[in-house]
Amino acid sequence: MRSRATLLVLEDVHWADEATLDVLRLLGRRVHATRGLVVATYRDEELGPDHPLRGVVGGFAGAQGVGRLQLSPLSPDAVRALAAPHGVDGEELYRRTGGNPFFVSEALAAGAETVPPTVRDAVLARAARLDPDARDLLEAVAVVPGHADLALLEALAGPQTARLDACLASGMLVQSADGVGFRHELARIAVEESVGPIRKRDLHAAALRALRDRGADVARLAHHAEAAGDAESMLRYAIAAAARAASHGAHREAAAQYARALRSGEGLAPAERAELLDRRAYECYLTDQSDEAIEAAEHAVRSYRALGDRHKEGNALRWLSQVLWCPGRTQESARRAREAVDLLEGVPPGRELAMAYAHLADNHARASNGPEALAWAGRALELADDLGETEIGLHALTTIGSIASVEKLELSLERALQANLPEQAARAFLILAGAAVDSRLGARAARYLHDGLEYCGERGVELHRLYLLAFRARLELNEGRWNEAAESAAAVLRIPRTSITPRIVALVTLGLVRARRGDPEAESLLDEAWALAEPTGELLRLGPVAAARGETAWLRGDAVALEAATKGALELASARGSAWLSGELAAWRRRAGLAWEMPASVAKPYVLELAGDWTGAAELWSQLDSPYEAALALGDADDEGALRAAHAELQELGARPAAEIVARRLRARGATGLTRGPRPGTRRTPGGLTAREVDVLRLVAEGLRNADIADRLFVSPRTVDHHVAALLRKLQARTRGEAVASAAQLGVLEDR
Amino acid sequence: MPRYLVERTFPDGLQIPIDDAGAAECLEIVDRNANRGVTWLQSYVQDDGSRTVCVYDAPSPEAIRATAAANSLPVDRITQVRVLDPYFYR
Repeated sequence: MRSRATLLVLEDVHWADEATLDVLRLLGRRVHATRGLVVATYRDEELGPDHPLRGVVGGFAGAQGVGRLQLSPLSPDAVRALAAPHGVDGEELYRRTGGNPFFVSEALAAGAETVPPTVRDAVLARAARLDPDARDLLEAVAVVPGHADLALLEALAGPQTARLDACLASGMLVQSADGVGFRHELARIAVEESVGPIRKRDLHAAALRALRDRGADVARLAHHAEAAGDAESMLRYAIAAAARAASHGAHREAAAQYARALRSGEGLAPAERAELLDRRAYECYLTDQSDEAIEAAEHAVRSYRALGDRHKEGNALRWLSQVLWCPGRTQESARRAREAVDLLEGVPPGRELAMAYAHLADNHARASNGPEALAWAGRALELADDLGETEIGLHALTTIGSIASVEKLELSLERALQANLPEQAARAFLILAGAAVDSRLGARAARYLHDGLEYCGERGVELHRLYLLAFRARLELNEGRWNEAAESAAAVLRIPRTSITPRIVALVTLGLVRARRGDPEAESLLDEAWALAEPTGELLRLGPVAAARGETAWLRGDAVALEAATKGALELASARGSAWLSGELAAWRRRAGLAWEMPASVAKPYVLELAGDWTGAAELWSQLDSPYEAALALGDADDEGALRAAHAELQELGARPAAEIVARRLRARGATGLTRGPRPGTRRTPGGLTAREVDVLRLVAEGLRNADIADRLFVSPRTVDHHVAALLRKLQARTRGEAVASAAQLGVLEDR
Repeated sequence: MPRYLVERTFPDGLQIPIDDAGAAECLEIVDRNANRGVTWLQSYVQDDGSRTVCVYDAPSPEAIRATAAANSLPVDRITQVRVLDPYFYR
């Protein structure tokens, strides 16, 4: 080590024997005189107050060349990033692991929701080193999620509470203002699972008694009641906890509490069970847990049928139809919707029938059957008015608005917001945003998306929020903001859910970004979207996928594939009178030289395209903030100037395949001097600085430190260090001040 | 993780000096790539430096483009590839 640069790594020295510690002491005193670097790692939470390593580390205080690096746990962002590729909820993983890298990596490797065996072994090995009283106390704390205060501890562990210091010293428990708790939730679960069933039940019963006496939170009481096997208390507290969670917009928690209430078994009267199933189905729907929602709804239908309550059976059938639609089971959904109406028309009419009409109307609207949707919505509206059911009337009005006019929809939204009906408001936001995105009303779409995302986020309406996120990705694609579109779409695709519509929209968006750039793995996304959309037979789901597959076929120059991708969808779009989809599908066929007929109803820019008015179409597309479509329209022109403009614009967008198609047309006309065009990544500023370095320099000029700049730009401080070093070098500056001055001279910081 | 070939054109030629500055520049690129889980495996550079073919492991084509932008590198074409080893067929 004296003569050569040497790196010596000693891992896990908290387990080192005395001889190793002696070597470590020696190295600590002498290392400054060598060319070696010694890295010794240990888990500080494993060091009790009298651990021998403490003495060694303490002895290094002030020693030359010895430093201590405290490794912080992984941040919530880091855990999210690690969890994302596994389809795991990063926030939940962070909550369970506290960011402990070992727990995080083991939990991800184990995959399932339970405690990974490696973590369990590590935790239980540490618990085994405690004396028996301390271990008993640890087990008592383990039955309490979160924190236990001292009074609760005494109720659970009695005199063993005296061993608290030993548990804290072991590092397994930590103290906070709320009492004591496990350092890591996974460790708590591992210890709780290791407790024998009788003792566990007794501990939970004791916790239930102690917490009930002081009127603790109903969700906590429900948890302990269930583990204590106290079915009656569990039912009561779970129902209360579910109702409270739902009213706070915590619909996932509400769904879980209803599931708990349903587990209480024989104590439940049949009518009560059926109602709980109904409510659980609703909460599962709002949080997009379709499989669970369908199961609960099917149960509810059977329960009401057994009870002979036909109003409620019909109502449950209607709800079953709704939840069947989300994962794409459209035929079953349509059948159930009809059954609900038929059943309820056979009994005295009430709100159930009005809602069944309104739902059937919605089902037809989603299948683009406008006339039938309007007819059923009319009946719903009439009955709802007779009964004074404003929410059902609003539902029907929204459906009518979705077919008739944006103005009516906006009125629905306004009324739903005023009456504080979150589901109706969320539905109106969703339909408004979707329609505005599809008809290229960018500014309107952006407003609905922004307001709708905020509204649904605050109220925990996850299903509708997911739709809005997907629509936002599509809007970004339409407006030529492809980086953002790809990021937004990828974010939707990372959420493992069951409703297929948002997934289809996201798959199409990301697939089109890739195809338009000429990047790989576009077709596989569009094939997945098609596999989801095609069986539904619904235009709104399959039409955009067909158009995207037509577009990629055109980019590949594959007219046969374009014919296959668009034929059926164009017929459906024409039959349903969809102006935008008919127009788009016909336009791709025309572009590829295939047979097409002018559909009955076509949106304006496609009317111009199909009529061969390429400049008019391009101009209109530009007004609609759709630069790619504008460039493609110009690219159809029989005019060198227009073709050159199209070529330049497509290059600017990074649309390589389309740019090549236009370039071939230009060359066929004998045009020369086509440039490869500007490449977004390489445009340099004066002084040779990259765009990112200029961003950093602006913040340097504001007097920010590197750490603050890192926060501002969402990068690591190390990255900022690199940028600052690079820009100092390029500007030949010795200090930050000199760099700013020299940049000012070169005009680097002027707005580009 | 998928593997990609990335073709790039440098009209003025790619210049990475074979010295400490060049090494530092490469390491900066590696560091920035890591932010998005992109690993630069190797590059083949045409003699005059005007074209390169680079081999990457990356989670998606978007990650390749994002790191290219962060590193101010042009992208002509991204292709997903598999490794074929000729000496495997014996």
